[in-house]
Amino acid sequence: MANIKLTDSLEFPDSASPMRLLISVGVVGVIASLVGVVVNTEQFLFSYLFSFSFFISIALASMFLVMVHHITRSSWGVTLRRIPETFSSYIWVFVLLFLPILFGMETLYSWTQEQYSWFYEGLREHKSPYLNTTFFIIRNVIYFSIWSYLGYSLYKYSIKMDETGDWGIDTTLRKISAPGIFFFAFTLAFASFDWIMSLNFDWFSTMFGVYFFAMSFQALFAILILMSLYLRRQGLLLNTITRSHIRDLGGWLFGFSVFYAYIAFSQFFLIYYANISEEILYYTARFEGNWEILAFIFLFGRFIIPFILLLPKKSKSNYKLLFAVSTLIVFSHLVEFYWLVMPPLHSSFSFHWLDLATFLAFAGIFMGMFFYFFKRQSMIPKNDPKLQESLSKH
Amino acid sequence: MSKESTQENKKLFGMLAEFANPAKLMKAAKLTNKAGYTKYDAYSPFPIHGMDDAMSLKESKLGWIVLSHGLVGFTGGLALQIWTNSIAYPINIGGRPFMNLPAYVPVTFELTVLLAAFGAVFGMFFLNNMPRHNNPLFNSKNFERATDDKFFICIEADDSNFSEEKTEAFLKEAGAVTIEKVYD
Repeated sequence: MANIKLTDSLEFPDSASPMRLLISVGVVGVIASLVGVVVNTEQFLFSYLFSFSFFISIALASMFLVMVHHITRSSWGVTLRRIPETFSSYIWVFVLLFLPILFGMETLYSWTQEQYSWFYEGLREHKSPYLNTTFFIIRNVIYFSIWSYLGYSLYKYSIKMDETGDWGIDTTLRKISAPGIFFFAFTLAFASFDWIMSLNFDWFSTMFGVYFFAMSFQALFAILILMSLYLRRQGLLLNTITRSHIRDLGGWLFGFSVFYAYIAFSQFFLIYYANISEEILYYTARFEGNWEILAFIFLFGRFIIPFILLLPKKSKSNYKLLFAVSTLIVFSHLVEFYWLVMPPLHSSFSFHWLDLATFLAFAGIFMGMFFYFFKRQSMIPKNDPKLQESLSKH
Repeated sequence: MSKESTQENKKLFGMLAEFANPAKLMKAAKLTNKAGYTKYDAYSPFPIHGMDDAMSLKESKLGWIVLSHGLVGFTGGLALQIWTNSIAYPINIGGRPFMNLPAYVPVTFELTVLLAAFGAVFGMFFLNNMPRHNNPLFNSKNFERATDDKFFICIEADDSNFSEEKTEAFLKEAGAVTIEKVYD
């Protein structure tokens, strides 16, 4: 087979970078959030946790995709790999972004307080070896050190391969990824227990970690489709990220929409049908006071509508449809986090301006960092041994 | 009995032409498509990229068969449960509503998948002309090498443009190495 040459420029041009917009969005968001800290600390913390979960879920899912890519030696997505690699390279920033949650944990998590009416006598003693302030901090230190190391080194070695062209680095990346996935699975599950599930600490679901992962992984493919379409629109990588790569992303999006629905429904269904009061209270709080509207938004927005629209083969390479479906899924992902995080604060649905402010602040920081790092390196791993295979994919 | 005399009684299935290499096969497939033949197929030992376009093949109908079976499973499964549990013989299960849609999801899902899978397997059999077990082309000794090192196009006698002389002349012009008639 004839070698396919890279015909596109791999530099991300300044003209394509939305940096100025992101900086202004970020600055507005940060200032408004800071005002919010003073005005309404409790609301700020919940809004902050909601935005934090949304953005770190994208970074973590990206890291997982990169690791899966390495250990399976996949070639299809080599041209796409730099995007998730960049997303997960700066997970260390979330260490700083986690500090407000750490300082505000006495407000956020009611298990930190002595006087709280536990659901039943003895539950406190039962859960306190795990749910206590010291161990919470230790656990989060562990999560963030593992993620920061994995995300940064996967990125760093990939960049090194760009520079040196040493194919041995491919093995190094695989050696990082294999144990990486193992640790990732545990840390992600326990992090989701700590950050989100423990908001209602007398409730528990052993599959909450998988649920968090299923949500994030589905949303990641929507984000990757949006990023690829953005690059196309700027006229970048037109012959490198081809229709066939985007079609594959559409296939993944479809598959993981079904996976998400399967996991989310499994969790809901067992609790709903068993109808035990200590378990069902979590869902009853989220199916009254107009919260149920949100539940229906994401039921349709990230499963039923995408499932029907993405079912035909043709729709997976229809850019307009993929753009619409991906936007819908990212929006539903946001709605679902809102639905998970907010009910402990508001018994009925109410939108606060701080939700928007913290979201804008995070969007500015997260996407700003992305474009900052994305611009500094070539947009694809240009010396990857499997690049040729990926380019000639059809 | 000689081979020729048995062929007298048999129906002509099609005109089988052998080509020297994939490039020539592709070119011939394009020409056949252009000449207006619809009932023909190309055979090669390995998949040749671009052949679908050269033959301008349409999407398989199998997807529609699977979809229709899946929908029958979905509505059937849902209707069965609604009818039995909510209308014909409502049972109070722990005070839950008689029409308890979340509880109907697993069975509905299973029946959708089951019937869709049946549709896929049996639909594929149907589209492959089952219960017939062989393709008439295997009556040609030469054709056995289609799985080894030879490339073929067969224009079937059912095609409305088919005529023995014209099709043979056409295939010769398209670059066929050998041409033979295959009988069913």
